[in-house]
Amino acid sequence: MLDSGLDPAHLAQLLSLPFMQRALVAGLLTGLLGGVLGSVAVLRQLSFFSDALGHSALLGISLGILLGLNPTLVLIPFAVLFALGVNQLAGRSQLPTDALLNIVYSSSLALAVLLLSRVRSYKGGIQQLLFGDILGVSWLDLGVILLLLLAAGGYLLLTRRSQILLTIDEPLAISRGVAAGWHRMVFIVVLAVVVAISIKAVGVLLISAFVVIPACASRLVSRSFGTYVLVAALLGAGCAVVGLLASGLFDLPSGPSVVVVQLLGFLLALLLAPLSRLARP
Amino acid sequence: MAEMILEVSHLTVCRAGSTVVDDVSFNLEAESDTALVGPNGAGKSTLVQAILGVLPRRSGQVRVLGHALGARGQLPAAVRDQVAYLPQSIALRGRFPLTVAEFVGLGWERAGLALPWRGGLARRAAVALALAKVGGEALADQLVSDLSTGQLKRVLLAFCVVRPRRLLVLDEAQAGLDAQAAEQFHGLLFDLRRSEGWTILQVSHDLDMVRRTCSGVLCINRSLRCSGTPDHALSPAQLEHLYGRGWVSYHHHHPGASRS
Repeated sequence: MLDSGLDPAHLAQLLSLPFMQRALVAGLLTGLLGGVLGSVAVLRQLSFFSDALGHSALLGISLGILLGLNPTLVLIPFAVLFALGVNQLAGRSQLPTDALLNIVYSSSLALAVLLLSRVRSYKGGIQQLLFGDILGVSWLDLGVILLLLLAAGGYLLLTRRSQILLTIDEPLAISRGVAAGWHRMVFIVVLAVVVAISIKAVGVLLISAFVVIPACASRLVSRSFGTYVLVAALLGAGCAVVGLLASGLFDLPSGPSVVVVQLLGFLLALLLAPLSRLARP
Repeated sequence: MAEMILEVSHLTVCRAGSTVVDDVSFNLEAESDTALVGPNGAGKSTLVQAILGVLPRRSGQVRVLGHALGARGQLPAAVRDQVAYLPQSIALRGRFPLTVAEFVGLGWERAGLALPWRGGLARRAAVALALAKVGGEALADQLVSDLSTGQLKRVLLAFCVVRPRRLLVLDEAQAGLDAQAAEQFHGLLFDLRRSEGWTILQVSHDLDMVRRTCSGVLCINRSLRCSGTPDHALSPAQLEHLYGRGWVSYHHHHPGASRS
């Protein structure tokens, strides 16, 4: 087994392990994806949506286990249905969205735990579902995440004008010809699929950190939209790689290590924020 | 015969089950400046948003530059390009990492899919010119969330002027501005209307300003109560009809104000 601690030989040994290489690539891609999508989601007040979806996903996974299907296969349609349902509900109901999300996710969580309690064989794996298993990511998983990153990145790049205008003011966006309802729905579905795919690596409890923390840190220090998205993506990827290396070197759980590194990044941004204001032209 | 920029006929809009705008018809000629006046809750903002396709309408027809507005608010992109809307305010929550130049650039871009770097130099030149026209050159690198109300209004105007437009729709442009800033803003708007050849439809509560600068007035209280020149539509008798008796007696020393 591996030694623990920070020395170059140990690091080289760690980097030569195939599962560690896959984990680092998965962390890099998931971090990029979370940062890019998160930068729009955070401005659009969708932080809590990704958290609620992460928690509700446990119900999707439990259904998959109960039906004997691959959890990831169940998770994607589940996430899309969840996103469409919440979008409809938020549009029609007179209640605030955060309250609605709370109702949906706590009841999903309750149902999931009830279901899992009936499946004796799976009790051991609950830790993996909650905190993810980034060391168990396969090359196929990596391919799926890469495809998703390209699709989501391309979508945001091409619809950038509509996304920003919608975030600023909906009537203003519609008056400029933006199909508001359509873009709102597509974005939320893309976010849901990204969260669902990333759950395997990061776990249901910590997935929203990947979406929210790098974007918020970047929001504090960025002085234009271009740098905002770029810094969020780089921060997401960088924190994931550093966190995974730290988890390998010091034998710590991977998901939580990454989130702690993200937190350090956020605290650094808090410290730097006053400086970025001073640097105003 | 003058070209019609906007034709509204028998427009009815419902919100939450009740009729807010009831069978309103009017036309705007090219380069006219028309004020929409009426008490609070009279449906002025609703009317304006229905004309822009932001809110759905119950019945009636809207034609912008001769093109019919679709049932779900659709207009051909070429027509959309020539219509600009200046909302009452935009509510940005917290720090919003978007510079003024980036925001005005969004007004220059056309609807549809496009890569961020399309336009390049032409976009940058158009943004600089638009900011110069509203006296906002110094604001280019500031974040939109750091602007004061007055600065934000100028920037919104730059967002409108960054591309040639035919119709400009303003919803209470003076809201949130003190008397001096409101005066400056209207001076700027007045100059731009002339130099850009805009047709303007503006919701307004400032009847003095309407008397001085507008060529026409539409008095709205759910339905169109009266319309015409400011002298006619804002006469004491018409105002009493629109707002009720108490309001008119308070303001009746203004009606003779000259028009510039």
